[in-house]
Amino acid sequence: MSELAIELSGVSKRFGPKVAVNAVSLQVRQGDVFGLIGPNGAGKTTTFSMMCGYLYPSEGSLKVMGVSPTTPGALKGRVGALPQDAVLPPGWEVGSLLMYWARLSDLPQPEHEARGALEKVGLMEAWKVQTQALSHGMAKRAAMAQALMGRPPLVLLDEPTAGLDPRIAAQVRQVIKDMKGTQTVVVSSHNLQELEELCDAAAILDKGSLAQAGTMSELTGQGAEFRVQIARGDVIIPEITSLPGVIGARMEGTDVLCVRFDGQAHKAEEVISRTVGHLIQHQTLILGVSRGRRLEDRVLQLL
Amino acid sequence: MMVIWAAELRRAVRSGRALVLLGLYSMFSALVLLVVGFVTRELQGQVNTKLMEEGADPEAAARAADQMHQGVLGFLTSNDTAMMQALSQVPIVVLIVFKLTLFFLPAYIALMGFDQVSGEVGPRSIRYLTVRARRSSVLLGKFLSQATLLLGLVLVIDLAIFVYARILNPDFAFGVLAMNLLKFWGATIVFSLAYVALTTLCSSLFRSPAVSLVFNFILLFVFWLMDSVSRAVEDTNPVRFVRYLSPSYYSGNLLHPQLAEFAGSGAAYAAFAAIFLVGAYGVLRTRDL
Repeated sequence: MSELAIELSGVSKRFGPKVAVNAVSLQVRQGDVFGLIGPNGAGKTTTFSMMCGYLYPSEGSLKVMGVSPTTPGALKGRVGALPQDAVLPPGWEVGSLLMYWARLSDLPQPEHEARGALEKVGLMEAWKVQTQALSHGMAKRAAMAQALMGRPPLVLLDEPTAGLDPRIAAQVRQVIKDMKGTQTVVVSSHNLQELEELCDAAAILDKGSLAQAGTMSELTGQGAEFRVQIARGDVIIPEITSLPGVIGARMEGTDVLCVRFDGQAHKAEEVISRTVGHLIQHQTLILGVSRGRRLEDRVLQLL
Repeated sequence: MMVIWAAELRRAVRSGRALVLLGLYSMFSALVLLVVGFVTRELQGQVNTKLMEEGADPEAAARAADQMHQGVLGFLTSNDTAMMQALSQVPIVVLIVFKLTLFFLPAYIALMGFDQVSGEVGPRSIRYLTVRARRSSVLLGKFLSQATLLLGLVLVIDLAIFVYARILNPDFAFGVLAMNLLKFWGATIVFSLAYVALTTLCSSLFRSPAVSLVFNFILLFVFWLMDSVSRAVEDTNPVRFVRYLSPSYYSGNLLHPQLAEFAGSGAAYAAFAAIFLVGAYGVLRTRDL
């Protein structure tokens, strides 16, 4: 099987005259946690919906786990999906509904799967609760639970922590972290801090087009730059740039030194240690060092 | 498909909806029974009084009642002698209720299932199903659950009508009752399946259940109009052929004792059901959810 869990080639989606997604090409490797990033209206949910087979692309081709998601029944047992704005059907108890869906996915032990998934999202107390009686956060977790049942090789989560309280959101993030490496996870979210924490790679969308895609390290420049927060003392830029591996250095404001280095030829820890050592040698006091830049800064720079 | 069928049916039966539908169906049938029963008794009473005034013997009253029965039977069966003979032992009230049932049943079916697909497409809960099952399975599962629910409801009501008729007519033998109950039930089911499929089609066309319902009623009205207008025109008018496009046109032979006649009607309803279902699948298969 291909090492790619998802492959989009020139995918566009139009709703009448409006182009929601414009010629997006990206790849998601198996076992990665992949983020879909972008402001409102960037095309995240539309892209997500095409991956799940809910929407047909107007142009281009999609492969999800090696098959076209629009092929009837192709995603059965391969994909767990949490759609952002799909309402849980009314008239069901949460437990019965999850068991029904587990049966539909041909899972061998529907009740065991349903209980296990509810436990993962901390919602066991809702087993007998009617879906229409669930609060927003509980409904979100029940929907998340159905995506996790059967440990599908690919899990697609659209805004999994939106509207959840911090404790539950942390629990959900932990569930995603636990899937890393064994399952492929695609997470669409506005919460960049969360995505930076969770994702191995991401795609940044803006106005329906792909602004940038790559590993988190590439996006945040972790393998190519670092920042040193200076507490006191002088920084002599030419001396820093002359250090082995350093390509360039500049001050951001009065107290942050930004250093770019050749991440291919030199290990980040070596260049960082060398630079920090040099600063300390010259009686410069340091408050902290951070690799790359915040994902948020990168996104704001791009959009 | 079977999982969806069973689950949807279980949900419908557990919800209050099945009870409400049963109540609605019972109320209409009871109303028809009462009105028809009352009118029949009044007519028979007036004829008997007239005959007594004219000094006729009791046998003349029985003959008049029989003539009246034959007259109504002839009207209901378009004077088809084979059908008249086959239905001669069925109380006239049952036949009238059956005929009226066929008229209101399509509207009842529309009320029952207008949101079966649109009710899931609008709020997008169908998305939870389509990652697990083919769209065709979702559609057929929902269609079958509606059909099964209707099958049960019609059986309950038909049974009640036949029991009521048995109470009113002690000479309505049990064997004849049982055989005709099955026959009427079967005929109603054959008739209904096409309309359940039509409701599935209408429900697949729109995201809003309310729009699906209105469109369904519009189509029922158009079918009724096609049937009525084409029956009203002269035999030379090409408009008369329009009746063949209306499902209700084929209801006349559903109780026919001859297999070929019944099969013709049955095949027409099966064809309508298939066309509507294929149409519904075509819509659901190609639409964004």
